[in-house]
Amino acid sequence: MNITFPSLIALLLFPGGLFLLGSGLFFEYLDRKLVARFQNRIGPRWFQPLADFIKLLAKEEVIPAGTIKSLFILLPIFALAAALTAALSVPLFGFKPVFSYNGDLIVTLYLLSMMTLCIGLAGANTEDRFSIVGATRALTQLFSYEAPFLLAMLGPAIALGTWNISLINQGATQQSLWFIVSQPIGFLAALIGLMGKLELPPFDAPEAETEIVAGALTEYSGRGFGLFKIGRDIELVVGLTLIASFYLGGFSTPLDFLWKVFVLLLITAALQSLFARLRIDQTVGLWWRIGAILVLCQLVLIIVGNTLSPFIAPLLGG
Amino acid sequence: MEAKQKSEKFIVPIGPQHPALKEPGHFEFTVDGEIVTNATARLGFVHRGMEKGVEDRNWTQGLYLMERVCGICSHVHAMAYALGVEKLANIQAPPRAQAIRELVAELERIHSHLLWLGVAAHEGGFDTLFMFSWRDRETVMDLLETITGNRVNYSANVLGGVKIDINDAQKDALRRGMDFLEERTKHYLKVVTEDETFLGRTRKIGVMTFEEATLLGAIGPTGRASGVQRDVRVDSPYAGYPDFPVNIVTSDAGDLEARFVVRIKELYESYRLVREIVDHLPGGDLTVKVPRRIPEGEVISRVEAPRGELFYFMKSNGTDKPERIKVRTPSLCNWGSVLTTAIGHKLADMPMILAGIDPCFSCNDRLVMINGKKTETQVWDWEDLRQYGIEYYK
Repeated sequence: MNITFPSLIALLLFPGGLFLLGSGLFFEYLDRKLVARFQNRIGPRWFQPLADFIKLLAKEEVIPAGTIKSLFILLPIFALAAALTAALSVPLFGFKPVFSYNGDLIVTLYLLSMMTLCIGLAGANTEDRFSIVGATRALTQLFSYEAPFLLAMLGPAIALGTWNISLINQGATQQSLWFIVSQPIGFLAALIGLMGKLELPPFDAPEAETEIVAGALTEYSGRGFGLFKIGRDIELVVGLTLIASFYLGGFSTPLDFLWKVFVLLLITAALQSLFARLRIDQTVGLWWRIGAILVLCQLVLIIVGNTLSPFIAPLLGG
Repeated sequence: MEAKQKSEKFIVPIGPQHPALKEPGHFEFTVDGEIVTNATARLGFVHRGMEKGVEDRNWTQGLYLMERVCGICSHVHAMAYALGVEKLANIQAPPRAQAIRELVAELERIHSHLLWLGVAAHEGGFDTLFMFSWRDRETVMDLLETITGNRVNYSANVLGGVKIDINDAQKDALRRGMDFLEERTKHYLKVVTEDETFLGRTRKIGVMTFEEATLLGAIGPTGRASGVQRDVRVDSPYAGYPDFPVNIVTSDAGDLEARFVVRIKELYESYRLVREIVDHLPGGDLTVKVPRRIPEGEVISRVEAPRGELFYFMKSNGTDKPERIKVRTPSLCNWGSVLTTAIGHKLADMPMILAGIDPCFSCNDRLVMINGKKTETQVWDWEDLRQYGIEYYK
């Protein structure tokens, strides 16, 4: 939909800012509810994530001894800010992104990684053993999924010859064949990579509660924890939007956006309830032994296909 | 800070309050990166002085106290106690009572094993299996409630028999429940032996060989998963087990997967036993009279709890109160196996290896007072110990 909002409204109210926060909470609710239903539980009520968030904001924030105080306070804010900034170049809810420029894909992907970096740093900042083990795991996991995830997101970009998210979205709409069909490996790597990014089961080793309590965020309480949590919710929205616009044929209307993103959410919820938690070495092994190689092969194929496309008509949708 | 950490060992403490353990126990895992290089355990957070407490009660009251040693396997404690008292008094509960004792014991085993399946799956991060097995466990909990009136402390035993009878409606409910659970258990066995991610967490993890298991004295399903052919129900049948014998389930693999498989196959055995008892329940009385004063003597009463051999030593001095009751619970015997198998594994495997023995903490704790001067004797009664406990935990 080609409506342009005044930038202040777009930043603070809609589609960014407040509305984005709200939809982040709503996505968290949907995710929790779906997983709960898959696990034969009842699950939370619709306002539960909001109630949790308000409660966390109202709680006293305990700053443990032995930490760098300013870093401890700033990291959650930084993480949330990065997630919110990442949303600016993404066609949220099917509207034109607020800021669109050539190469915003790379900037957005790095802003999305900011969250994990902040969590890792937050864990390393405290002296708590659970936090340190959690931080190590979070960063190890980052190194395992980041490259395949990036390559998976680059697939459609290279096929369409532009690194502008908005243009990729438009290009994907005009494709006769969705990229999920022509680049199935990329789609899987992107979706599973997003789950790793958000530390959702089965990739929740960095915050495995039965081993290391809450991982890197063990020492966080109150506001800091709440901000990390909502930052992650926003990442879920942004990540799903990116994958849907790249691989599910893009979208130009809010309705289009909604059903595509909800289908993706349904798939991630199903994946979350299907598997046992992977150990961190299993995660790394999975990504580097299988994920990275497959995605690389596909990327090579896309590039070869692109070069040969003038000669062989639409191969791989290029 | 870095220099400090290099010189110090990096120890990850688990417990006494930790999301992985719902019961209080303290474990310290020394880790090198993710690899565990040393493990120690500290118990004793929930000592309740029950062995001493039972000395202040008469034989009948003792039954109700001992039933509360454990919340999961309450029936076997009461059964071991009742069987011991009956042996001391030289009487035998009627066959119908013995069969009902076995029936409740097997139902309890079903509930305990299903509970464990859920907990162990949760420790491995497989919450779906956790939720499903606990949902199905409600079936057997409801059956226990139908039969005994209680979900946790069934209070089925009295000295000299049982206080509950099984009628035809209950028999039908039991048959239906067993059919449903058998169907579900088949599914769980399939999940446990075929699900790739789950096998990644259980296969070849926490391996304990037959030699290690015998050396460490592993008992119950933990030992049987390492090929230790030991089951009190088979070795020295008690209660109804001579009439309704059980087949021993063992495995030679000795890893976590084997512990899952052995326990799930034991569930099948329990379903078969429950059906058999329901179909061929002997007639007759439910109780015989037991004298108030139990003749002087000593006796050992052993039963197979869901976690392994439960051992009661009982001594009577001819009065209406026991002289000494010593309880050795199965979890205590298996701790050694946890601490040994833990070394060399990854930190991520610790919760599952811990849960692999089906630990139960509150029945483990004993108080040992060491008297430095050999000549002096020290007498502590119930009130002293109570006061000591209050002071200790203050």
